[in-house]
Amino acid sequence: MRRMSSTRDWFGAALVEIAREYDHVVVVNCDLAKATRTLPFKEEFPDRFFECGIAEANAIGVAAGLAQEGFRPFVASFGHFLTGKFLEIFQSVGLNDAGVVLVGTHAGLAIGRDGPTQMGLRDVALMRTLPNVRVFQPADGAEVWQMMEHLATDRHPSYLRLCRQPQPEVHAEGYRFRFGVPHVVREGADVVVFAMGGTVPVAVEAAGRLAADGITPTVVNVSSLPVDRAAVARLAGAHRRAVVVEDHYLVGGLADEIGRIVLGLPDRPRFDVLAVPDYGQAGPPEELYRRYRLDAAGIAAFVREAAR
Amino acid sequence: MRGEGVVAGPAEHADLARIARLATRCRLVLLEMIHRAGSGHAGSSLSCADIISVLRFDRMDWSADRSGDVFVLSKGHAAPAWYAALIVGGDLPAEEVGTLRALDSRLQGHPDRTRLGLVDVSTGALGQGLSVAVGRAVARRLHGRDSTVYCLLGDGECQEGQVWEAFLYAGANRVSGLVAVIDHNDSQSDGTVGDTLPLHPLPDKLRAFGWNVAQVDGHDHGELRDALRRRDPGRPSAIIAHTRKGRLGPGRVLLDGSHSDLPSPAEYAAAVDYLETLLECGA
Repeated sequence: MRRMSSTRDWFGAALVEIAREYDHVVVVNCDLAKATRTLPFKEEFPDRFFECGIAEANAIGVAAGLAQEGFRPFVASFGHFLTGKFLEIFQSVGLNDAGVVLVGTHAGLAIGRDGPTQMGLRDVALMRTLPNVRVFQPADGAEVWQMMEHLATDRHPSYLRLCRQPQPEVHAEGYRFRFGVPHVVREGADVVVFAMGGTVPVAVEAAGRLAADGITPTVVNVSSLPVDRAAVARLAGAHRRAVVVEDHYLVGGLADEIGRIVLGLPDRPRFDVLAVPDYGQAGPPEELYRRYRLDAAGIAAFVREAAR
Repeated sequence: MRGEGVVAGPAEHADLARIARLATRCRLVLLEMIHRAGSGHAGSSLSCADIISVLRFDRMDWSADRSGDVFVLSKGHAAPAWYAALIVGGDLPAEEVGTLRALDSRLQGHPDRTRLGLVDVSTGALGQGLSVAVGRAVARRLHGRDSTVYCLLGDGECQEGQVWEAFLYAGANRVSGLVAVIDHNDSQSDGTVGDTLPLHPLPDKLRAFGWNVAQVDGHDHGELRDALRRRDPGRPSAIIAHTRKGRLGPGRVLLDGSHSDLPSPAEYAAAVDYLETLLECGA
């Protein structure tokens, strides 16, 4: 098992590896190479690194142009800043069908004391509105490496959502990432918990805590969107309760994706969502996760309630 | 500026007459499109018909498989001018003239490359085309390709901050192989550019951003062509093309230069009559 690390760290390491293999991988930066972990790439491939400065709209357009000429550009910034340029992503990337990979780091509450102006809490919602844009959020290092291989050889416009906080590995040896396929990381019964990215290991830990109460939730990692509807329907249909837990705003994210599928089930399970219901706020990350009940104790309590 | 560097001989004059005829035919086609659609930006399209004609029929290394130079219509609302050039140039069938803005048409109200491959970049919301053009020019430089990326912007569009991010980037990085043509008709939706938010002094600003700058009469094919020939190999080039919105021909303007008004049937008929007379007179 790899040591605990953040998905942005794994991304930075994997980026250099895939760039050695694939010449068409380039990076467009917005003055955040250190924070987004693209600095090692810059050092090894200075000619393939485009510094746009603190000008995300232009960076997204430049990346679209690079993609149209056959490159696979990774534009990295905080997810909140990148997806804030929604009109550029909509038109120059989406409607232009340009194979850009938007890399949005600092997903969710984990940025902590910097507060809501830096928190990626609405990014998934915005990216889900673009029909040809695929969303990826790895849950651990093993998944980052496989996603990066996938993204380097794919051509779809994509959004890669990464976390700042260190995460343990949740996938067993031999796990293979497949786009759109949800993956059961913990088998259980009665309740199924759907999670994404940094919330997956926390949900797994919460599931462990619930064993004492006789509750054994199934935990599913939904690491790419749009998700395979049939697979989600099978999983949700096999449980009495379905819960979505996400480090994102309550509206527009994973809950909406899963909720639409659950609504279509003939004998649909009860459906509950635990997410951030407001703008977020500044504070130490661990206190924020406690306040918003997105730590292991909070998720366990929520699932216990839902399972009743 | 005319005459600088290039001496117009008889062959040049004949060629300019050819471009003039093509530009007039483009005006006829774009007006027919907008008239039949009952919708579209006639004034903005007429404003840049000469610029587009010089690019498409003279200066651009054009091929319908889009392997040559790149053209980005950042002022996407002038799409009819580009579609007209494609029809006049034989890249699009003339039957499509009646499909502008129609359901399922390739000729969307603003250029959409996912529907029409002859569009290099999807545009419409203003301010974005130059950034994509910069990316394409940078990519071509990295590939070692000797080609040019042309980007046509509106002057009102230059009020968008992203345009200046792109000017800043291209100037600082000396992105050659990039030509921005600014259709400077001093007119935007609510009035003149000068009254709305002036760009003045635009050439000084662009020079300060590291661009090679030329100013021309944007309806003079010879001046446009000369400016497009005079490029700085080490810097991006901007051509500020002074134009008149709605211009049909010398001294003749449609709808007093309105941004988005539609010509009435009588105005349309008079414009067609005028343009056809120009063609009959050989221009």
